[in-house]
Amino acid sequence: MDWLFFGEISLAGLAMGGLYALIALGFVMIYKATRVINFAIGEIMMFAAYLFLAFAGGMELSAWIALPLAVIGGSILGGVIEKTMIRPMLGESPISVVMVTIGIASILVGLVEFIWTADPQLLPNFLPREPVFIGPLYLAPKIAYGFLIGSALLIIYLLYFRFSRGGVALRATASDQAAAYSMGINVRRVFNLAWVFGSLAASLAGVLVAATGGLSPQFGIIGLSVLVVVIVGGLDSILGALVAGVFIGWLETVAGAYLGGEYRMPATFVVLAIILVIRPYGLFGTHEIERV
Amino acid sequence: MRIGDAKQTYEADEAIWTSNTQKFWFGLLMLVLVLFPFMADSYLLYLGCLVGIAVISTTGLNILTGFTGLISLGQAGFMGVGAYTVAWLSLNTGLPFPVTLLLAGLVAAAVGILVGLPSLRVKGLYLAIATLAASVFLHFIFAEWESVTGGMGGLSLEPAHLFGLTFQSDFRMYFIIVPLAVLMVFTARNVLRTRVGRAFIAIRDRDISAEILGINLLRYKLMSFALSSFYAGVAGGLFAYFYRVVTPESFPLSMSIFYLAAVIVGGMGNLLGGILGAAFMTLVPEALKLLTAALTPFYPNAPVFMSPMLEIIFGALIVGFLIFEPHGLAEIWHRIRRFFRLWPFRN
Amino acid sequence: MFRNILKKGRKLAGFGGLVAALTLAAPAMAQDKEPIVFGGSIPLSGVFAFAGIHLHAGLTDYTDWINSQGGINGHPVEYVMEDTAYEVDRSVAAFKKISGSSSPATYYGDSTGFMKAIASELNSMGTTLMSGASFATALTDNEQYPYQFIPGPNYSQMFGIILEYIASQGEDGDMPTVAFVYSDTEFGKDPIENGKARAAELGIEVVEEIVTKPGSVDVSAEVLKLRRVRPDYVVFHGYVLSPINEFMVQMRQMGLDTQFMGTFWSSDKLIIDKMGADADGYMGVMPYNYYDSEESGPMLDALRAQAEKSDPDAGYRPTGYIQGWFNAMVWTEVIKRTLDAGKELNADNMAEALASIEDWDTGGIIGIPVTVKDMSFPVGRIWRVNAEAGRYEPVSDWIHLD
Repeated sequence: MDWLFFGEISLAGLAMGGLYALIALGFVMIYKATRVINFAIGEIMMFAAYLFLAFAGGMELSAWIALPLAVIGGSILGGVIEKTMIRPMLGESPISVVMVTIGIASILVGLVEFIWTADPQLLPNFLPREPVFIGPLYLAPKIAYGFLIGSALLIIYLLYFRFSRGGVALRATASDQAAAYSMGINVRRVFNLAWVFGSLAASLAGVLVAATGGLSPQFGIIGLSVLVVVIVGGLDSILGALVAGVFIGWLETVAGAYLGGEYRMPATFVVLAIILVIRPYGLFGTHEIERV
Repeated sequence: MRIGDAKQTYEADEAIWTSNTQKFWFGLLMLVLVLFPFMADSYLLYLGCLVGIAVISTTGLNILTGFTGLISLGQAGFMGVGAYTVAWLSLNTGLPFPVTLLLAGLVAAAVGILVGLPSLRVKGLYLAIATLAASVFLHFIFAEWESVTGGMGGLSLEPAHLFGLTFQSDFRMYFIIVPLAVLMVFTARNVLRTRVGRAFIAIRDRDISAEILGINLLRYKLMSFALSSFYAGVAGGLFAYFYRVVTPESFPLSMSIFYLAAVIVGGMGNLLGGILGAAFMTLVPEALKLLTAALTPFYPNAPVFMSPMLEIIFGALIVGFLIFEPHGLAEIWHRIRRFFRLWPFRN
Repeated sequence: MFRNILKKGRKLAGFGGLVAALTLAAPAMAQDKEPIVFGGSIPLSGVFAFAGIHLHAGLTDYTDWINSQGGINGHPVEYVMEDTAYEVDRSVAAFKKISGSSSPATYYGDSTGFMKAIASELNSMGTTLMSGASFATALTDNEQYPYQFIPGPNYSQMFGIILEYIASQGEDGDMPTVAFVYSDTEFGKDPIENGKARAAELGIEVVEEIVTKPGSVDVSAEVLKLRRVRPDYVVFHGYVLSPINEFMVQMRQMGLDTQFMGTFWSSDKLIIDKMGADADGYMGVMPYNYYDSEESGPMLDALRAQAEKSDPDAGYRPTGYIQGWFNAMVWTEVIKRTLDAGKELNADNMAEALASIEDWDTGGIIGIPVTVKDMSFPVGRIWRVNAEAGRYEPVSDWIHLD
């Protein structure tokens, strides 16, 4: 076995996994606060990436202005979605809410095709292009820098959750909505903020992923990989999102490299199936006890 | 004037026909269905067949999602199983179509049971994800098991045949598809008013309560999966005979979502709703095309901007119905009927 | 003569009118001969719209042009199309609608899936010859698809042309090595088996085969694999744009001097427009002369003049435009041959006329006379991107496989 090769592949996979972890974090944040499984997360990522394209490519802004603008745009989109389409579904069955997010995904794809056409696109280059070596291991520059930017946001998020007022409000709402409400937490605002911040994480990841993989209205398929990550990690576990994100990213890449590209999805879904059978609530998820 | 139903016996409550008027309208509908292919052109005939296939598959999914409360993202995968079964049988055995379609349904049902197994342990959204995983695996099998499925290129099959009669044209396929659709909807109607159907509904409404009432959850959940994927398998088999080519790309995830949308737009837990939803969702793109055609003389670019509209409308229908009309088209249909029944007394 | 073949009469009036609304009618001509109809399921929207819009323009402009030349043997030509969004069921619906109302002599199919799905219907109708956007190898099987042809080399033949070019770059005993990179789709896998067999015949070693998931995906692990085997050539198939760009950029960052090549749908100017300077040196196999190439010929000049006339602001016309035009050109040639022989215009006779095409001068669309083989035109040329000039330039002679 070529250990150098394995190391390089693993490194690429782990870097990709870092981005998955970031998306999964956004996903978990939304789920924790509002109990909504957001099937439209891939499409929110896509939308933000198209915004970046419009700002950086179309309006020729500097990438470092376009990136925050696109990410803010994606966050606003998340907030608007919550306010207009998720809020009215409060109290409905989870199946209905999931279907609403699937509907939203379709609307976003249509909007993107409407505004930017269905043509395949490339984002303008904004990351350094010199190869990165970690010891003897080569790492493609785009993923290396993507990983760095993603991790920075990830760390900010974790600190925010732990120490800020908003983070505490969010955690309180997640653990008991009624109690949080009676303690004076504006639960509706928390719902909205969870969507805004969840979409923010997804948007940043969206731009970074599109920068390496290209952009088209089919981009949202990546949402499937993210679903695997959050189910494996546990829907309501931030630690789970991080661990599973990195692991699934690594597994996907290694399976793709050693078995071939057609094995990427099945490999991760095998892990998913095993987890569903032995630990249905994910590696780090909470097992909810149901009462009649 | 009939303004309500007072039923005095359980028989009356379970009856399929509640009045002679209902029988009359149903008879008329059947007559229209029989006469339709003689009047329609090839385009309408094609759409009629498509709607028929969609009705079968939607009814199946409605049993699972609408009546048992188990959401499935694997419907297209099950249809694929049925389609490949029919394709393989027609290529390798030359059996007549009633046999192949039945086998398609049975094989799909067997796969459905396998996929349904986790349903005892996980439910709701986790189950949806399990069915999603199943559809990923099924796609992988369709693409990679080349000796049976023909790989990415798929299989081309012979037309359906029975007693030396081949069903090559849409005209003839119509007379397989539509009677089968009617039959299967009726079967569903019958199953759902038996003990089994009531068990499904009890599970949907609260599975733990149902279990306390003595309903064997595993058994009935698996039964629901089996029944639903049987319908999908038959629909897939018809799909195979209809297009006479089956490839892994014929059954994408978007197709599963399409059927879920049909169930929702039609009305979850309502067979009539499933039928309306299937017809409505199949015909929306064509209706949009008519609109595009009408716009094209004025805006030559109409086709280019109208197509993304389809995606938007598709999504908006799902979201809109869920928010504003959760009981779907079936509810609208009832409202229309009520209007006529009460007219002119209401105002 | 063209109308007597309707299997069932048009019983519901009204649809004719609707289709007519979509018809891009030929200029009115004082001719009393029956019009000949070109039908088309055209992907004006959806994932293939980037090409579909230009295919449509090519077919439209050709129709206008041929009518300005007096039609085909005096018959005016009508082009009737519907948008399909690149969905098979909608393509079939469009076909049924158009064939029910206009009985097209020839038809443009928008995808391999559609052309396979419609084959049985097409074969039993026996009235219509079909070609389209697909270059799928399977469609050259005359048993199964007797009335469908490929308006160029099929994907396997494209690989054949590419491999022949690669072989010509090697010296004896020092053949270049090659790696195939393709998408996990029917489109992507089409030529791979035949390509490997052909490479073995030519003595070219296929050092690596990489399958990628379709859609946006990070390919850096795959690039690492290629770094290990250091192929002289990488041949892409089954993509339009990404991840070709990512392979090229990353492999060059690693200092590899690999050459990159692609097939028809990944050899358009889109690559240059989106990749900019990174596209330099990329090579594609193309059976037609590019719109902005230095080649010329009576038909190529007519195409340019017509394109200029129909939309003076459009400038460069993509390969899809020329592909659409060439399809219609072949249809015309086939119909002309059938009519000249005094035969009825049905699918059998047209297929026969197509098979009889030998050393046909395409007037500069293809640089050399072409001969039809197995319902395809196995000819092509390798072109290389000159990023500075922003266009493809020929690097090989025309290669005609036999």
